[in-house]
Amino acid sequence: MTGDLAPSPGRCHHPDVPARARVSRARSTGESLREYGRGVAGGLLFSLPLLYTMEVWQGAFTMPPERQLLYVVLALVLLLGYNRYAGLHPDSTWAEVAIDSIEEMGIGLLLSALVLLLIGRIGPEQDGREIVGRIVVEAVTVAIGVSVGTAQLGGDDEMDLGMKGKDRITFWGQLTLAVCGAVLFAANVAPTEEIVMIGIELPGYQLAVLGLSTMALGTLILFYSDFRGSRRSLRVEGLPGVIRGAVITYAVGLVASVIILWLFGRFDGMGPGPILGQTVALAVAATLGASAGRLLFQRGESD
Amino acid sequence: MTKPAKNWLEWTVFAVGLVLVLATLGFLIRESLVSGDGPPEILARLGEPRPAQSGHLVPIEVTNVGLATAEDVSVPVFLDLPDGEREEAQLAIAFLPRDSRREGWVHFRSDPRRGKVSLGPIAFEVP
Repeated sequence: MTGDLAPSPGRCHHPDVPARARVSRARSTGESLREYGRGVAGGLLFSLPLLYTMEVWQGAFTMPPERQLLYVVLALVLLLGYNRYAGLHPDSTWAEVAIDSIEEMGIGLLLSALVLLLIGRIGPEQDGREIVGRIVVEAVTVAIGVSVGTAQLGGDDEMDLGMKGKDRITFWGQLTLAVCGAVLFAANVAPTEEIVMIGIELPGYQLAVLGLSTMALGTLILFYSDFRGSRRSLRVEGLPGVIRGAVITYAVGLVASVIILWLFGRFDGMGPGPILGQTVALAVAATLGASAGRLLFQRGESD
Repeated sequence: MTKPAKNWLEWTVFAVGLVLVLATLGFLIRESLVSGDGPPEILARLGEPRPAQSGHLVPIEVTNVGLATAEDVSVPVFLDLPDGEREEAQLAIAFLPRDSRREGWVHFRSDPRRGKVSLGPIAFEVP
């Protein structure tokens, strides 16, 4: 990953870069407010299904505190990655990226508490653990939504200029974006009973068909559907390149599915068959998110 | 390291965010360390009966004082009348986390003060 940390022309205070090249300045409070507004909108847009899902509320007390802790820590790592590779201020230093990530997690926690309070899912009659659990389990997706919303729903203000000098997004950058997309989409359906039902009831051959269809769908999105940026951001080297891309995206989808399902306790007490079934069932959403994430969630490179 | 260029609003949001994130992480770390392994332990308590439009209502308070969440908790309630007749009801609670309390009501046709209200054995699942 060290190559990604090389100074970009927009970054200042590096011995090789003249200070006048720095374009960043403190934003006005109006600009900041607009940015937070976009973040809040994004957070709600991407996570509303989750905020309205009963199984997620129940996750607050079926998920042990150590898994909730891991969930928050993983989310913070994802936010750091996302803000580094696709955030609104790509010429940021790591300190700024960390500040943005903490801000987004904070907004996520506040926003999920507020919505849960508004819809009567948390209240004084509940134990502190239950309240914190409900807020935490919801806040992770809200925070990723805030991050994506801030970066993606924006207008073309001058801050976008920072991207012009940025190098092509590396393999690790693409991978981070794919994981973010996968988590954002998969977390919305992972805790539901439907995933267990599909995973338990589908016979082996149908799971195989579902897996292959998911790979085909991912390939279609990545290489053939002419999504925004699909030609610019992916170097396709013939059929092997397409196959490689499809396999990597599906692998990201599978890994993200396994982690989320395990965190939500969906593997507890299950045999290998239902575990595999649930993973393949959830990987549909995760792969969709991973392939779309690689294209949509990165700021388009200069045309 | 240079000081990032931020206005007062951004620093405020960051400060609030930092406090929330640290508080959440601290709470979860403490919970992970202190939470022990053990089964749920359910206590049920009957309240004072009160007359309703068609019959009588008895409040029940169910508390989990154990170490884990209980799922599908069922609390049977009986009313034994002096003439040997028995009325039965069952309170079902989907989830009862540890240290949590849920309240419910049982509706009897007969006046509970004429007989004896008692609780049956409580059953639950561990999620």
